[in-house]
Amino acid sequence: MKAETKFFKLKSAVSITERAAGKHATLPVLSCVLIEFKKDALVLKSTNLDVGIEMEIPAKTTGTGSVAVPARTLSSFLSQSGDKDQPIVIEFVNNNLVVSLSKSKGTIKSVPHDDFPVIPEVSNGETRNIKSKALIEGFKAVWYSASVSSVKPELASIYVYKDGDFVVFVATDSFRLAEKRVPVSESQQGSIDLLVPFKNSIEIAKALESMDEVVTMKSSKNLISIESAGIKITSRIIDGVFPDYRQIIPKSPTTEAVVLKQDIVNTLKAATVFSDSFNKIKLTADPVKKILEITTKNSDVGENDAAIDAALSGEPIEISFNSKYITDCFQSIDSDSMSLEFSGKNKAMVIKPVSSNQTFMYLVMPMNR
Amino acid sequence: MFCIKKQARGISKIISTAYQHIFSCSTSLQNYKQVYTVGVMNPTTDFSRMWQTALIEIESAVSQANFSTWFKETSILKEADGTVYLGVPNSFTEEWLRKKFHNSILKILRQMNNNIRALDYVITKDEGRSMAKKIVAPAPTMTMPLQDFYINKDDNLNPKYTFDTFVIGPFNELANAAAKTVISNPGQVYNPLFLYGETGRGKTHLMQAVGNEIKKLYPNKKVFYMTSERFGNELFSALQEGKAQQFKDRFKKYDVLIIDDIQFFSGKEKFQEEFFHLFNLFKDTGRQLVFSSDKHPNIITGLEDRLRGRFNAGMVLDIPEPDHESRMVIVKAKCATHNITLPQEIVEHISDTIKDNIREIEGVINIIACQAQLKNKELSLNEVRNILKNNAKPKKLLSVKELVKIVCDFYNIDEDMIYNKTRRKEVVRPRQVVMYIMREDFNISFPSIGEKLGNRDHTTVIHSYNKMKVDLKSDPLLIQEINQLRSML
Repeated sequence: MKAETKFFKLKSAVSITERAAGKHATLPVLSCVLIEFKKDALVLKSTNLDVGIEMEIPAKTTGTGSVAVPARTLSSFLSQSGDKDQPIVIEFVNNNLVVSLSKSKGTIKSVPHDDFPVIPEVSNGETRNIKSKALIEGFKAVWYSASVSSVKPELASIYVYKDGDFVVFVATDSFRLAEKRVPVSESQQGSIDLLVPFKNSIEIAKALESMDEVVTMKSSKNLISIESAGIKITSRIIDGVFPDYRQIIPKSPTTEAVVLKQDIVNTLKAATVFSDSFNKIKLTADPVKKILEITTKNSDVGENDAAIDAALSGEPIEISFNSKYITDCFQSIDSDSMSLEFSGKNKAMVIKPVSSNQTFMYLVMPMNR
Repeated sequence: MFCIKKQARGISKIISTAYQHIFSCSTSLQNYKQVYTVGVMNPTTDFSRMWQTALIEIESAVSQANFSTWFKETSILKEADGTVYLGVPNSFTEEWLRKKFHNSILKILRQMNNNIRALDYVITKDEGRSMAKKIVAPAPTMTMPLQDFYINKDDNLNPKYTFDTFVIGPFNELANAAAKTVISNPGQVYNPLFLYGETGRGKTHLMQAVGNEIKKLYPNKKVFYMTSERFGNELFSALQEGKAQQFKDRFKKYDVLIIDDIQFFSGKEKFQEEFFHLFNLFKDTGRQLVFSSDKHPNIITGLEDRLRGRFNAGMVLDIPEPDHESRMVIVKAKCATHNITLPQEIVEHISDTIKDNIREIEGVINIIACQAQLKNKELSLNEVRNILKNNAKPKKLLSVKELVKIVCDFYNIDEDMIYNKTRRKEVVRPRQVVMYIMREDFNISFPSIGEKLGNRDHTTVIHSYNKMKVDLKSDPLLIQEINQLRSML
């Protein structure tokens, strides 16, 4: 078996498929990329039994068959720089995969591929189209809020559903919640209601990153496939129910503060130096005196008081948070200023960007002491 | 996972044993069925033993790497009609086992049990797969009360409400049977199914269980649950925005419509009119309707007659006060969900004290569980008594005079007449009502009722009480009067 293709095509296909290859797999073949030599094409496959990625690249091939090589070895070898349009030839010789570039040649030991698993197909599922950019934007805006514990698989997932002209992405670990609404321009039919494990959502977003086209999502009860020209990602999805989180969004804030994002980012950075092991920061908002203050105190380190310029309205409030939960959401706020809304001592704080299209919303629960 | 399963099994066992207890006098078919289920419920342990044995054989046949990749997280879930259902963690494993190991697994299983004919795979939720590394929350941040909102937004059903968690006793046997009939044949019999009973008797649980079960059995049937209040609100805003037609069209796609607390429609004519058309649409196209209310449709005031008639045309069922044994089963079942066991005397005491409201029982058990956890010991009967005293609905103290005054005001007669010997018709009825309420609600002895109401003989009181009981069965107006009076006390 022998195939010739462009260097950059193989390089990017390997680096994408490598992501799904198992890192500590019990089965050696799971940490491999399976390369299938087909007529006029190479198909690269990898899976960790949670996500599977298949990529197809055009190639001049002679002979058909499969070979599995450790993903890390191949991708590291291809990470060398070089003329991206130079031809690359791969050939299967004596149980080795010989990779020839114009100036270098590598021989990689292959792994028996009989045990390489079949990546399951989504059978009789619903099909919907969505822009890859929308999917990436949604996943990236909320994934950090998902629960890292798998005790409740629903909370370790990103909930994706369709609401009118928006696809909504939500994640929560019950201490904070992030919601991103991504407009879908084409008035497409069919509802969406999915729970994608957040780890898999990162893989999906990374794999689709370099693309800007419409992908086809096909899902059944336990499985979703996302397909586009040359790539197919298959992921486990959770067959469960996401809590009806809209009921816990505070409706009428009692205190509101509008601040510059850069101000609060800088102030928090300094303040957290003195926060305790729970990252506790105390926020004091006094609309009468027009003060928004952040106080931190650590008996071993010292303490810090900092004021932030803010436009304040409503009642005065003093409330504590885990600063990590607040700083997490800054990555999803793309406007210069943001609003903090408080609804009382034991209620969640709502953070929103201040811009014409508010598509992001973030809820943080306060600390109770 | 294991621990949850065990607990669930524990509950069903309690329920089933209690079942036998309730039905111990009758030799109904159901009784046998229950005993039988208890018999086959336990083999889960047999399954795991069987699968362990099978795994030993498989392990010797495949490589260690293969074994730990594909077989580590598998288990036998159940066996039905000769088919063994194997629980697997994901579709990848399913695909691979089906392709590579299907026949060998089947062969091994058949060596152990000749009755096994087939093998199928079920993807189990992987909750708790990594239970061991349960993370501790960064302590002091409060959590959102998310667990209360696990509601499916497509159908509004709360998946928590299923028949598995529904305690059946003589008091709700009939309603349960009717619900099961509806499930086996949605839209064809008992349409609409109308359940009524006071708050906290399990109407919502039963209705939602019907919805959840229909969803499970007929995946292409669309179920929708809503309260009548929400129906009203949404209709109201639809009317305001001039989108009434869209509102109505929305319901056309559902096959089963469940509406809770119908009594809120009382006096709202426009809602009733829209609801009436919706009702006809469902009924005419053979789609199932399930309703609940706190009263019999005949005595919901401000309800149009045409709706009343239509409700009555289906199956109208009462969920009465749970009987003592059922209450005990409920107490035990609720305890089991908290993983606590209470001594028999406490269980009896709780079920003796809280008579008519299952929700209250639930509340008290919550408090007991919480306190037991705080104090880290079992609560004594006295402590439970205190909890009950503070939390159960206070029984209002009322003198005989006050009661008589309320009743007389209601019937617009002179108070003295009740105590007099007169037997005029307009006085006899209220007097009987007073006696009935004294006996029924305040548990006063017949002789002392007689003594307090103008020195009457206790046989007179017994006669009045029995007469009221008989009349109540046939006279909806009387039921309505008594209920109104009770709410005024």
